[in-house]
Amino acid sequence: MAPISSGASAADIVAQNIQENKVMMFSKSYCPFCLKVKDLFKSLNVAYTTLELDLMENGPEIQEALVEKSGLRTVPNVFVNGEHLGGADKVFETQKNGELMPLINKSDHNYDYDMIVIGGGSGGLAASKEAANLGAKVAVCDFVTPTPKGTTWGLGGTCVNVGCIPKKLMHQAAILGHELKDSREYGWATPESVSHDWSKMVEGIQNHIGSLNWGYRVALRDKKINYLNAYATFTDPHTLKTVDRRGKEKIITADKFVLATGGRPRYPDIPGVKEHCITSDDIFSLPYPPGKTLLVGASYIALECAGFLAGLGYDTTVMVRSILLRGFDQQIAERIGTYMEQNGVKFIRGAVPTSVEQIEEGSPGKYKVTAKTTDGEEITDEYNTIVMAIGRDPCTGGIGLDTINVELAKSGKVVVNSAEQSSIPHIYAVGDIIEGGLELTPVAIQAGKLLARRLYGNGTLLTDYVNVPTTVFTPLEYGSCGLSEEVAIEKYGEDDIEVYHSNYIPLEHTVPHRPENECYAKLICVKSLNEKVVGFHVLGPNAGEITQGFSIGLKLNATKADFDNLIGIHPTTAEVFTTLGVTKRSGKDVNAQGC
Amino acid sequence: MVQKVEIEGFDAFIEQVDKFKPSGKPIFVLFSGSKDANGKSWCPDCVVAEPVVKGALDKAPDDAIFLYVGVGPRDFWKDRNNVFRTDARTKLKSVPTLMLFGGPQRLEEEQCAKADMVEMLFEDA
Repeated sequence: MAPISSGASAADIVAQNIQENKVMMFSKSYCPFCLKVKDLFKSLNVAYTTLELDLMENGPEIQEALVEKSGLRTVPNVFVNGEHLGGADKVFETQKNGELMPLINKSDHNYDYDMIVIGGGSGGLAASKEAANLGAKVAVCDFVTPTPKGTTWGLGGTCVNVGCIPKKLMHQAAILGHELKDSREYGWATPESVSHDWSKMVEGIQNHIGSLNWGYRVALRDKKINYLNAYATFTDPHTLKTVDRRGKEKIITADKFVLATGGRPRYPDIPGVKEHCITSDDIFSLPYPPGKTLLVGASYIALECAGFLAGLGYDTTVMVRSILLRGFDQQIAERIGTYMEQNGVKFIRGAVPTSVEQIEEGSPGKYKVTAKTTDGEEITDEYNTIVMAIGRDPCTGGIGLDTINVELAKSGKVVVNSAEQSSIPHIYAVGDIIEGGLELTPVAIQAGKLLARRLYGNGTLLTDYVNVPTTVFTPLEYGSCGLSEEVAIEKYGEDDIEVYHSNYIPLEHTVPHRPENECYAKLICVKSLNEKVVGFHVLGPNAGEITQGFSIGLKLNATKADFDNLIGIHPTTAEVFTTLGVTKRSGKDVNAQGC
Repeated sequence: MVQKVEIEGFDAFIEQVDKFKPSGKPIFVLFSGSKDANGKSWCPDCVVAEPVVKGALDKAPDDAIFLYVGVGPRDFWKDRNNVFRTDARTKLKSVPTLMLFGGPQRLEEEQCAKADMVEMLFEDA
């Protein structure tokens, strides 16, 4: 509150306070209704100013001035953005109707929108919906440029259409196949030759995705968010040119922007690749069975796709330049490779493709792939389907970011501060396109939601990018949270790290006689920090479910002793983490023990 | 001009779908609680939705088919095992439901009374 000269009239004091304070409340310190309204503002993170009339010498005069001004004698008497709102009942009624935050956050600009989000994926949708909930006028531009094969999809971004959702469902299809084999040992008279219908699986998965796409559109419409199925390009820092499928152009402006354009698979620069190869953008809607398939790359995308293809019975090969799952714990990465190899996936290590030629047309066709090994040797083989999974590039080119000078890193990703703000203060970025971020849907959702709350809900919380759990859905799932062993050693030094680990066999695997030492659990602890757990790793069925729960422990700085004090649930696989007794340093046997 | 057909019951619905399906024309279906002798549905949300849906039909493609399907009296509908709820082609959870037959597009209950949502569905075919 600005100092008010003692000579000011009561009317001046009222006028000045209403004018200078976004949310101004005339109150009495003992009044329970005033207290209720204050609590409401606090719960909404709304900054407000009060004058306690009972504590002021000229309180009665001010109260009279308020009657004059607003016709209301009682307190609280609330003014928002210079306008009279009313007493407690009116404030609560306005809040109940969802009109309070829009009133408080009323824009003071002349743009078409308060916020335009470019990209209708997880991050963009989360930001737009939360901003709209808080009263902002929002538009979302989403446009899927078709793949070289012509594949395209609906609203929702990578995760829903060509990522997490279809891959987990295909992973499940493969797991079912494996469990059908197990079922015979459990007494089911499952026939030896059970066939799988690729097209039927694709149809079922695509139908589900279609209903999700529709659901997002309904949600946007419901929240009065304008959805433009159009390609947006900045023409100046507050203006976008949008072009829809039919080439129709439209100019829209906004006060703030959120870049949430996501990424797309990268193709290597070799002859024949775009004409003859597909990527993860195509495989989940491939209308025909892929046949003998080559996956190029060692990313989790390559390994997950290879895993379910082999599980569905396709001849599957992965061509890897150097290491598997760069950035992940390498001991586990190698174990994943070994498991996959033992379960039908062929690996060509130390090789990169140099050309792809078509031998036969068809659905699928037949292609000759030539590759070069690190020794300079040339190898060739024939495949029906070739999936490029060598990495993803952010979709930050061709949207005019250069014209408005948004700073990009060398990777093409957007440079942002901890509040997801780019070098242009009114332009923000979330999701797969931020430099130093994590390419994970729930991270984008959290970032989008919290960003909207900071922009329109007076929120202060920043997205915490540390200890984010994740899971690779290879045939044997790999869940992790925190540091890999390599990074932990680099950060704390080998001497200060204690690694507790064990192989284990899920009870369910015993009856069908699956191999005993495939699954693995590992905790990485820092000795000097009271054995605080800084890395959690599990390789086994349902690793995602296990990791999600335990990750809260890492968030809360759990130590090895906390894990030891935890009582297990028997019989589960997760309980192995409550009894890890062998350190890696000891070199003792970690083979699975019976119950 | 959208071709409108009003029918009662599941069998009549399937008959109409089978009849129009081969034409490849988009088939929109509004499932409502059946009307009584006075022409009033027992389902209040359906009463509200019907004029909104019919009023937005000009947004549908000209060659579209619009089926208004009465799902039966209240007692029949409330049975959790009634055919509209169980059949894979309908899998209804509530009335009113407006759908594009064979597609993921569907609106339920009060959504069917929101003109902008209904228009979005009709424009999506």
